[in-house]
Amino acid sequence: MAAGRVTRGRLIAVDGSSGPIVAAAARTIGRALRSGNTDGGGGVSTWDSSGIFTDLAAAAADIPGPSARTLTLLYAADLAFRLRWQIGPAIEAGHSVVAAPYVESAKALGIAAGLPRRWLVELFRFAPKPDVCYHVNERGGRVARRATGGYLECFSNTLVASGVVVGLDALRKQSVDYLNSLEGRGRCSRLTADAVAALRRSARRP
Amino acid sequence: MADRHEQQWRDLLEQREATRGMLVAFEGPDGSGKSTQRKLFKTWLKSEGRDVVTTKWNSSPLIKPLVKVRKAVRALSPEEFCLLHAADFRHRLDTEVLPALWRGTTVVADRYLFTGLARDAARGLPFDWLLHVYEPVLWPDIVFHFSVSPETSGMRIAATREPTYYEAGQDVTGLDDPLVSYHKFISRVIQEYESLALAFRFVTIDAERSIDEQHREIRERFQQAERRPWSEWNLEPVVEWLAHHPDAPRRMRRTTTT
Repeated sequence: MAAGRVTRGRLIAVDGSSGPIVAAAARTIGRALRSGNTDGGGGVSTWDSSGIFTDLAAAAADIPGPSARTLTLLYAADLAFRLRWQIGPAIEAGHSVVAAPYVESAKALGIAAGLPRRWLVELFRFAPKPDVCYHVNERGGRVARRATGGYLECFSNTLVASGVVVGLDALRKQSVDYLNSLEGRGRCSRLTADAVAALRRSARRP
Repeated sequence: MADRHEQQWRDLLEQREATRGMLVAFEGPDGSGKSTQRKLFKTWLKSEGRDVVTTKWNSSPLIKPLVKVRKAVRALSPEEFCLLHAADFRHRLDTEVLPALWRGTTVVADRYLFTGLARDAARGLPFDWLLHVYEPVLWPDIVFHFSVSPETSGMRIAATREPTYYEAGQDVTGLDDPLVSYHKFISRVIQEYESLALAFRFVTIDAERSIDEQHREIRERFQQAERRPWSEWNLEPVVEWLAHHPDAPRRMRRTTTT
């Protein structure tokens, strides 16, 4: 390796069926990476880093709300922002970044809302494949009544407010089914304590 | 379209065909005079007794403010620029264009999705990805393409104002002078428009001619134009919109419930 060349960092994707649980998992992974890494790691990139959805929530109430497809385009725009300003630079500098959520959460919700799978796959083609993909799902209905905090909750609340009859529980169930199917195809792993420990070990420098 | 009600949707659209409004798009580079022609055309349609509405590029009341703020700080990557404009377009399609067409109003679009395709392709984004972003495409009944040279476009723009940072494509050319950058960028945009005009059979208007000559040709070409039947051309976008619309039969509405 040439002197001064930086080893590329890793992109760790965390997707799931609940915003708060994805955020908690991302914090856990972030801590694990930092504990073994003197440079503090590349941090966690969360949804709405660009503020698009915050701005959207501030729009006048009499403006008709966005459809599932429009919301997905906005999520993709926010992800483009995260890739340009957070994820890309950190990885190039040799840090590992936790992207929580990344593309699979948005695809899961899109499919649950009736959008064509092929369109979702093509739309997110601009996003690089993560080095590792984890998924986290809440147990039973424990978190199902908590309707704030993440993209799924925002997606569901927005569509309900727009008059489209879409329920949080139904979206969550279909999202879980999609994420489980990814695991079945070896494209995503369930985040376990062992996986976190492995990430901690891999972050240690010699 | 994977929908067990496909034939029923097709029948519904065929029933609506005679009463739905026509969608007419005006496309072309900045300074091609299309907005002038769009206004004249709308006035003429109204004088003919038609109910007409206009929809303009990047004008969704929900998305436009988001885009404006981000343009002001010049922080948009080509992908983000594209996706935000596509979101704006989709929101207008769902909330302005399709409802108007469904109730029988003629919609005149001052720029349509081809503006996004031409500009974003000129910014270096892959054309096949751009087409996916705008899917499912609601094809207009007729697209008027106003063709001008880069020189004419640049001259007309410079006569009134300095092009903005993104109009001039300074985000991709890296040039400091807006007018120099504009000339370079608009040349690429015009090339993309020429390709789109061929591929999608636009009606090309020589926009170097007088305003009156162009207007007369537009009237003639519009009167000769035939509708593009929705059941053949636009089944997917109309059904996606209609699936949540009260006019759709209840059994065919697409819902996810708790």
